[in-house]
Amino acid sequence: MTNESVKNIRIKWDGFVKKIDAFCHKIKFDSWKGWIYLSPAIVLLMIFTVWPIFNTVRYAFLEGYEGMAALSGKTFEVGFGNFEYVLGYQNFQRCLFNTIILCVLTVPISTFLALLIAVCLNSIKFLNRFLQTIYFLPYVTNSIAIGMVFAAMFNIVGYNHQNIENSVSLGIVNNVIQFFGGEPINWINMYSGYWENIWVMVIYIVWNALPFKILILLGGLQSVNKQYYDAAKIDSTPKWRVFTKITVPLLSPMIAYVVITGFIGGFKEYSSIVGIFDADMGPPGDRGRLNTMVGYIYDAINGASKQYGRASAAAIILFIIIFAVTMVNLYVSKKKTHY
Amino acid sequence: MSEVNSNSNINEAVTPSKTITTMVERDMKKVSNAQLVKKILSNVAIYLFLIAIAIIVLFPFYWMIISSLKSLEEYKLSTPTLFPEKIMFVNYVKAFSQGNLGTLFINTVYVGVVSTIFSLVITVLSAFAFARLEFKGKDTLFALLLATMMIPGELFTITNYSTVHKFGWMNTYTVLIVPFLVSVFYIYLLKQNFLQIPNELYLAAKVDGTKDLKYLWKVMIPLAFPTLISITILKMMGSWNSYMWPNLVTKSENMQLVTNGLRNAFTEATSGETDFPVQMAAVAIVSAPLFVVFLFFRKYIMKGVSRSGIKG
Amino acid sequence: MKKILLALLVLVTMLVNMLAMTGCGLLPGNKDDGNGEEEGKVNITFYHTMGANLRDVLDEYIPEFEAMYPNINVIHEQVGGYDDVRDTISTELTVGEQPNIAYCYPDHVALYNVAQAVVVLDDYIDFEGDYTWNLDGTTISNIGLTQAQKDDFIQGYYEEGRQFGDGKMYTLPLSKSTEVLYYNKKVFAENNLTPPTTWDEMEEVCRILKEKYPDSIPLGYDSEANWFITMCEQLDTPYTSATGEHFLFNNAENRAFVKRFKGWFDKDYVTTQEIFGGYTSEIFKETSKPQRSFMSIGSSAGATHQRPAKLEDGSYPFEVGITSIPQIDAANNGKVISQGPSLCILENTNRDEVMASWLFMKFLTTNVAFQADFGIASGYVPVIKSVAQDATYADSLAKANGTTNIAALSAKVCLEQEAFYYTSPAFNGSSAARDQVGSLIQKCFGLSYTSEADLDAQIEAAFKAAVDECKYQTGK
Repeated sequence: MTNESVKNIRIKWDGFVKKIDAFCHKIKFDSWKGWIYLSPAIVLLMIFTVWPIFNTVRYAFLEGYEGMAALSGKTFEVGFGNFEYVLGYQNFQRCLFNTIILCVLTVPISTFLALLIAVCLNSIKFLNRFLQTIYFLPYVTNSIAIGMVFAAMFNIVGYNHQNIENSVSLGIVNNVIQFFGGEPINWINMYSGYWENIWVMVIYIVWNALPFKILILLGGLQSVNKQYYDAAKIDSTPKWRVFTKITVPLLSPMIAYVVITGFIGGFKEYSSIVGIFDADMGPPGDRGRLNTMVGYIYDAINGASKQYGRASAAAIILFIIIFAVTMVNLYVSKKKTHY
Repeated sequence: MSEVNSNSNINEAVTPSKTITTMVERDMKKVSNAQLVKKILSNVAIYLFLIAIAIIVLFPFYWMIISSLKSLEEYKLSTPTLFPEKIMFVNYVKAFSQGNLGTLFINTVYVGVVSTIFSLVITVLSAFAFARLEFKGKDTLFALLLATMMIPGELFTITNYSTVHKFGWMNTYTVLIVPFLVSVFYIYLLKQNFLQIPNELYLAAKVDGTKDLKYLWKVMIPLAFPTLISITILKMMGSWNSYMWPNLVTKSENMQLVTNGLRNAFTEATSGETDFPVQMAAVAIVSAPLFVVFLFFRKYIMKGVSRSGIKG
Repeated sequence: MKKILLALLVLVTMLVNMLAMTGCGLLPGNKDDGNGEEEGKVNITFYHTMGANLRDVLDEYIPEFEAMYPNINVIHEQVGGYDDVRDTISTELTVGEQPNIAYCYPDHVALYNVAQAVVVLDDYIDFEGDYTWNLDGTTISNIGLTQAQKDDFIQGYYEEGRQFGDGKMYTLPLSKSTEVLYYNKKVFAENNLTPPTTWDEMEEVCRILKEKYPDSIPLGYDSEANWFITMCEQLDTPYTSATGEHFLFNNAENRAFVKRFKGWFDKDYVTTQEIFGGYTSEIFKETSKPQRSFMSIGSSAGATHQRPAKLEDGSYPFEVGITSIPQIDAANNGKVISQGPSLCILENTNRDEVMASWLFMKFLTTNVAFQADFGIASGYVPVIKSVAQDATYADSLAKANGTTNIAALSAKVCLEQEAFYYTSPAFNGSSAARDQVGSLIQKCFGLSYTSEADLDAQIEAAFKAAVDECKYQTGK
């Protein structure tokens, strides 16, 4: 390659750059540069977030919309049919009931426990970091995987439904119960009771939810000024009074936050149940007994006839519930929150 | 988000007064013996409580590990042993081969890494645009994005499921990666972080003729590095833990992620007898990488989580 | 170099966008498996549930078929179990990527027909004249079934393809099986028992065995749904109907037999697959542990799974006996379920593919050698009569025994009962009914009650809930 040609290329290149420059100037490039930076996000959001919102609403109002039936060119009437169907459906009602029960039990228990732990943790120095790390461990787990561990702990191997004591092995939890003189309980095996199942779920969900709540509440406590407590010490106020009169009010924004996120998460409960009961969502003999709202939506999409209409209606109902609960929580916490 | 605001509120509201401080110091010296005993007792109670909780928190992990090392016979003893009599590492070998865990691991790591890289690029570009660039409709757009955070993901799933069908993405890596590349929350997080970097730096750079991208790369990214690490780890953890979506869109076994494979491979109904120790070994194998990551990045994870509260 | 960086940025963002739009062709490792399609041929895909041993048989015969029709290329794939085939196909139908030919049960066909996706076979069975391939313009003849071929099918099986209410033929049978009673010959001989032929005798046998072996569960019945439906057939009580009111199974007689069997369950006479948490053959094969069973009712095609593991000296710890399942009235009017896969062709805009699928279906169902080999490998019963004259098949049946040649034995028992086979109506919702009666058995067995009346009330409530569920699932 001669110098000449290199020079030529160089000149051409410069010309090209200038042209681009001029073009950019002409179209006022700077004023919509931001949109170019944002374009990947916007394109993806359009496809996977914005469009689904509209489409879900559309499905929800097409009565009885099914993926399979739609193939045959069937048309669907517009109306509230899907909502009526879903709300009147015993299975959905059961899913709704399960979801609410789990929320109502787990959110207060885990919040209270987390608060207690955070306060205690905040009052000690020795082992503080160490314990904090331990308490955080459940967060970095796979909820299906550890669900299987919990299932193993509650599971009775070789369950004998006539006489539970004759089973091969009762499981560590029942062993502990027996150690303290209690009767072994059929937690999750076939024909176990509904409330036994629920308590297993509550224990697991609380265990899983604690780390986040402790982290947030502890963060809150550390930013609360020590002076309040010192003032209380002068008055030698009893501990529980300090807790209810100082700690809780001061922490109320964080408590509100963990309660709200707890409810939002609780209404979406699904994979922790799969972890313990498998995708059948219930103990052998009564499959689907512990199904939740999200599980219902999932089944409707995944089922053979592809009931998109009903799934969409259920999803919208779920959204409305979460929205309403969040609003109520915000309202209450605004009234009760002290700054 | 709300907690960030309220934090600062507290700090403003609770302005300490110096007089109280000195009074307290004086009073603290007058602690009587009775009070000291009371204090010690209450401290003991607190430690007992905290340690009891720690044991409960740790117990499932302990049980997972010792169960995974037992033989099936020992596992089924009616009085359980607290430590395996004979350590059976072979369970881990079995778990690895039986559950096709190798493929599942590779799939998950691949999906995690690729989606994290793309997600970071998209997040950085978007956050930069929102934090530094001026363009029409910026504020409206940002408000709209924040509004989408309110909606539960399940609402999107239905349509996305039929969308990815139409795209012909079923049973591909694409379907596991692309729909979740954009996280409004991460954009929000990073935007806030970028905003803390003084605007003067940017303007000075502009005068120097430094291009936006260069500035972004040379100045903003290094300054926001901790946040980026938090995002990276949370995103990776998300891939590791995702269950519902992969289960919906990947039917073939060699496309599944660990969570799906785990639940399906070790609880087959084909044989009446689950090999519990092997199952626990599989669970331990799947949990291990998360713990390793946690050990190394504890600070970033906890920081990221305390700001997000989004698991998975 | 002013705006180069910007240009680059535009390029990068475009790339990311295109990636999102085009389906990430750039990402390596995508499934695009090419799946064996060949250029210049009519490629057809066949979904089935065959295990490795049956796939081997299929692989052996596909070249023979492709030699007959050189421009057809057959690709086949095992897609899990029957439900997986159904779910995969119904999903793929919504995006137009369905296979050409598939294993099916009547329920599946009823479902696919909601999307009008199943090819009516009558046009092909009675196809007259030649067909010219759109692909290369060559012509083939002898497309339909000859009268001799039609007559060769066992009539009952053949007519099952026409059970969809509109009189049209949608499926051809590939192979058949039924439920049989496997029993432990050794234990039966030791206790001077004969295999029960009626449910009353069954109760008696269970009582005796339970007394002798207190920790045992004498009988395992794999499929709860089959049990319920078979009882309806044997008692001649309503189950479902393809027309009018679909779900008729909530009636006093049905509740009565469920209650009776619940009594058995409470006495630990019986367990089922879902309740036991695995195939009941697991405890049937058991020889050492106290918790084991001596009878197992399961598919005749699963005979090899009912055989206990070999001892160290290579012999079997006990011989398996195979006989017909108990009846209400053994002397006459026996009823056993007709199971086993049929084949259906799924609609496709490419007429060549539909024609090729038909030819392949015709080959699989009418080729005597294939039917014989397939039957021997699986324990399924062939669907054409002429297989009986096939030397290898006859030879294999002659060698049937309860240990080494157990599949042949079950096939033999199966063949003897052909007159007893029944099928239940298929319609959109029949699979929901099947699922519901299956879980009804599970649910009712687990009921705890204070009095007889309480139990009756609970059973009635469970039946009602099951009917409601069926109605809801089929859109009221």
